[in-house]
Amino acid sequence: MKKFDYHIPKSLEEALSLFKSLENAKYIAGGTDVLVNIKRKKESPSHLISLRNIDSLKVVEKKDGLKIGSCLIHQELLKIEEIRTYYSALYDALTKLGSKQIRNVATIGGNICNAAPSADTACPLLVLDAQVVIFGEKGTRMVPIDDFFEGPGTVAKEESEIVTSFELPSFPKYTGSAYIKHTRREAMDLAMVSAASRITFAAEDQSLLRDFLSSKGVEELDKELKNYPLFVKEARIALGVVAPRPFRAKKAESCLEGKFLNEETLREACEKAAEEAQPRDTIRGEAWYRREMVKVLTKRTILLSVKRAIEMCS
Amino acid sequence: MTFNAVGQKIPKKDAPLKVTGQALYIDDLELPGMLYGKILFSKYPHARILNIDTSKAERLPGVKAVVTAKDFPPNFRIGFMKDNPPLKGNKVLSTRDEIAAVCAISPEIAEEACELIDVDYEVLPGVFDPITAMREDAPILHEELGSNVLKLPWKLVCGDVEKGKSESKYIVEDTFTTQWVTHCCMATSGCIAHFDINNNLTLYSNTQIPSLAQNDFLEALNALGLKNRRVRIIQVTIGGAFGSKLDTYPYEYIAILLALKTRKPVKIVFSRDEEFFATSPRQCTITKISQGCTKEGKLTFREVEMILDNGAYTSWGATTPSVMMMPISSLYRVPNVKYEAKCVYTNNTYCQAMRGYGNPQATFAIESSLDHLAEVSGIDPYDLRMINANQPGEITPQGFKITTCGLKECLEEVAKRLNWREKRGKGGGKRGVGMASLIHVGGGARVYKSDGCGTIIKMDDFGKVDVFTGATDIGQGADTVIAQIVAEELGIPVEDVNVIHNDTDVCPWDVGVHASRTTFVAGNSALYAARKIKARLTEIVSKILEIPQEDVEIRNGIAFSKSDPQKSIPVARAIRRAHFTTGGSMLMAEHFYDPNNENLGKDFKGNLSTAYTYGTHGVEVEVDTETGKVKILKYVAAHDIGRAINPLLLEGQIEGGALMGIGFALSERLIYQNGYLKNGNFLDYKILTVRDAVPVETVIIETDEKEGPYGAKGIGEPGLVPSAPAIANAIYDAIGVRIKDLPITPEKILKALKEKAGTGNKA
Repeated sequence: MKKFDYHIPKSLEEALSLFKSLENAKYIAGGTDVLVNIKRKKESPSHLISLRNIDSLKVVEKKDGLKIGSCLIHQELLKIEEIRTYYSALYDALTKLGSKQIRNVATIGGNICNAAPSADTACPLLVLDAQVVIFGEKGTRMVPIDDFFEGPGTVAKEESEIVTSFELPSFPKYTGSAYIKHTRREAMDLAMVSAASRITFAAEDQSLLRDFLSSKGVEELDKELKNYPLFVKEARIALGVVAPRPFRAKKAESCLEGKFLNEETLREACEKAAEEAQPRDTIRGEAWYRREMVKVLTKRTILLSVKRAIEMCS
Repeated sequence: MTFNAVGQKIPKKDAPLKVTGQALYIDDLELPGMLYGKILFSKYPHARILNIDTSKAERLPGVKAVVTAKDFPPNFRIGFMKDNPPLKGNKVLSTRDEIAAVCAISPEIAEEACELIDVDYEVLPGVFDPITAMREDAPILHEELGSNVLKLPWKLVCGDVEKGKSESKYIVEDTFTTQWVTHCCMATSGCIAHFDINNNLTLYSNTQIPSLAQNDFLEALNALGLKNRRVRIIQVTIGGAFGSKLDTYPYEYIAILLALKTRKPVKIVFSRDEEFFATSPRQCTITKISQGCTKEGKLTFREVEMILDNGAYTSWGATTPSVMMMPISSLYRVPNVKYEAKCVYTNNTYCQAMRGYGNPQATFAIESSLDHLAEVSGIDPYDLRMINANQPGEITPQGFKITTCGLKECLEEVAKRLNWREKRGKGGGKRGVGMASLIHVGGGARVYKSDGCGTIIKMDDFGKVDVFTGATDIGQGADTVIAQIVAEELGIPVEDVNVIHNDTDVCPWDVGVHASRTTFVAGNSALYAARKIKARLTEIVSKILEIPQEDVEIRNGIAFSKSDPQKSIPVARAIRRAHFTTGGSMLMAEHFYDPNNENLGKDFKGNLSTAYTYGTHGVEVEVDTETGKVKILKYVAAHDIGRAINPLLLEGQIEGGALMGIGFALSERLIYQNGYLKNGNFLDYKILTVRDAVPVETVIIETDEKEGPYGAKGIGEPGLVPSAPAIANAIYDAIGVRIKDLPITPEKILKALKEKAGTGNKA
């Protein structure tokens, strides 16, 4: 492995000024991507600036939604009860990322800034309308996550800028979200396809949701949809691996948003999502199969979101 | 018969060292003045080498030597067919071909130096599958041979297959294919070569074949002009082998050459990348099989034609068809058998031994085909297997003398535990059950001039025992099992037995750890050596206690009179009495055990092994018909192992085997495209993780093999042999599609389901 100098700043300002003053520098958080890239000679920075000892990057604020610091490791995030309860899609992703060993060092900021099309936390943050908080020379700015991903490995920030946190809005109670990662293995694997969704129902449907649960339970959900005209106030669907960047399948979303959820609208949404996907043939999976899986995962993640929304109202 | 040490669940002796990080692997070992070697591999799968310029590398500070083909004697070749020069000078035939090597004072400098070597190539058209390689217009890899088909005439004919066909009421024919899979040893390949002042070589190695490797390296020293020297092989802790270290490889000869040139110890250890692309995987096969049965389900014939991708060079792996003959001729009773196999050179990686040695590939075809036959004949697959199950005392068409055989018991146990009658065919289009069996050598296998193993044993003044065995411990537990056998025989605690198994200067000859032979052959060797020392010991005790020798019994380190247990003496004291006396003596003994098995004849018939082992695996699966993913709900592995010397290690072998088998069945494959490995890392090579591991319900059937040590037979390999067909059969039961091409990926299942449903396939 090529040699580099390692710097450990204690504040954002110090990190930024180090970056500015050093030649060929790069920020590093958990290092589960950066160090692998260096070993594989995909990049060769002369200086690594660690963000791990900057306390402000590890904040957790639970007011009007949730704010999570970019340098929190995945295993720490898993302990935040609000994520499990209100941001289930993100929770799903945290349980599926890498392995426990990886989750113990890898950070959410690293996962997002690495911007792999398969990044596990990307699709959940997309459906949860996350804002990316970025610190730089000109101060702090916010970017909606949908605008943050530009392409494989590229994000909408200057190299010197540091992603400090992610802000998630609070959603009405009658909201559910989910993330499904389709892999060949149960751990240490990249998604062949991944999908996340969020469904927020209309406030007036709350009693209907409760009825649904008491009458049939959620196990028979897909069959029962026609008997319960649930109105979808807001729908989010995001897909991973099937495009150069994780993206929101907005045509699929519009099949559901402002409509009643039934077998037909659900199928349309899945078909649209498959159309929006641009899967490729790689050694990790064949395009035709990935497109098929977009349909299956979209359906499953929406049903899981609905199920969770219903459970939230019980 | 009651035992003290035998049958105990004793954890592997070196387990504490391994889990606390104290075990020393090649990578941990540093010798004074040691240099680090690195190999430059070919950029192309098939090319002529026009020029190699090493001048820049030689000038790099810290580099101590750079070698190319011209540093080896011309025509020096290694391997089973002597077709592999350790460094290639004229032509490269695969992307793992070694072109040059350097050694330097640090691994980083060695790596940098390799990058400074300029090679001019003339790229040649390559051939990347055996079918194309057999065409007349295919480029010939080894021009001097004139053909890509190896001159290894694998052909077995037993009975009359045509007659068998005419007697058949039902016949099925299918073609099955299997993929490259690799061993994935936790420790990568490597060695340290070191010459002393007299040019005697010491090689620190993780070989599975110390004695044969010693022979290979002596040949190399001879070729290098070093006549009449000594070669000492010291085996460090071996971090897995599974057949991968059953040969000697170019990197070892290169390390030796570099050590000779520099007069310094030279270490070469593969990176994980190199381990993936520069070691030899299991051969991929194309198998056409047909078999038939009578109306009642009696097997009438089995005919198999096979093509194997040999890769660019030939290792012992090219002899796997000789092992494939075993299940083809002798798994179930089938009177008429014909088998032919061709090994074909291609510009792919060359293949080698891997756990099961061809048996998993052959058994996948046989047992999948058998389920097909069951369906066609309308006989339940379990019943069809019971009708044709091997039995003790039979002689198979290939000439195997079956002594103990627990196949029927294995089948029964699996059927019972899977709830076969209730579940078969009733999984509602999602769930299914399947089974498959195996035969393997369990009493050594005579593939070399000798199938023997030597043991030297001594007892010290404190009653402790040192056993010097030829056996190699590659993690399977030879160190522990041999200790248990010796402790049992001598009547002393297992912890008092120290097994030395890692140094050719002190350990006797052994043909190697392969063919699941170590417990049987090395175990017997240790047993008979212990018996000899026990005879001496009881003689000494009988004199001290003044009782007849037959009356002496030893238990827990105390010798006593059977008829009058009051008369006793600790073994250690008896030994000291014999030692510290005028004309004293020490307790030492040796034994060389070579089992009474036979080399296969020119017709490939003969009693290859002294005993045969059987087993049946049963699987219940659930298939997600939307995604094609297979989930294993239950996995039962029943094995006839003669006797469990150590049930803990035995279960470990079976569970580890089954998990390797599940990976072979469902997820593992090396992806080569035009001679280049595309997934040489653990992210993209889908070995199962602990999260994917399914609980394996092991069932041990003890048949008490008369020739085995305390009745034991071998179990190293069988655990993975029937996994793939058992899973494939269960998938068929679940969803009615048969996948004949391993691994059974979700894509293949979904495609087959769509084809079956007539909705076309979008691929």
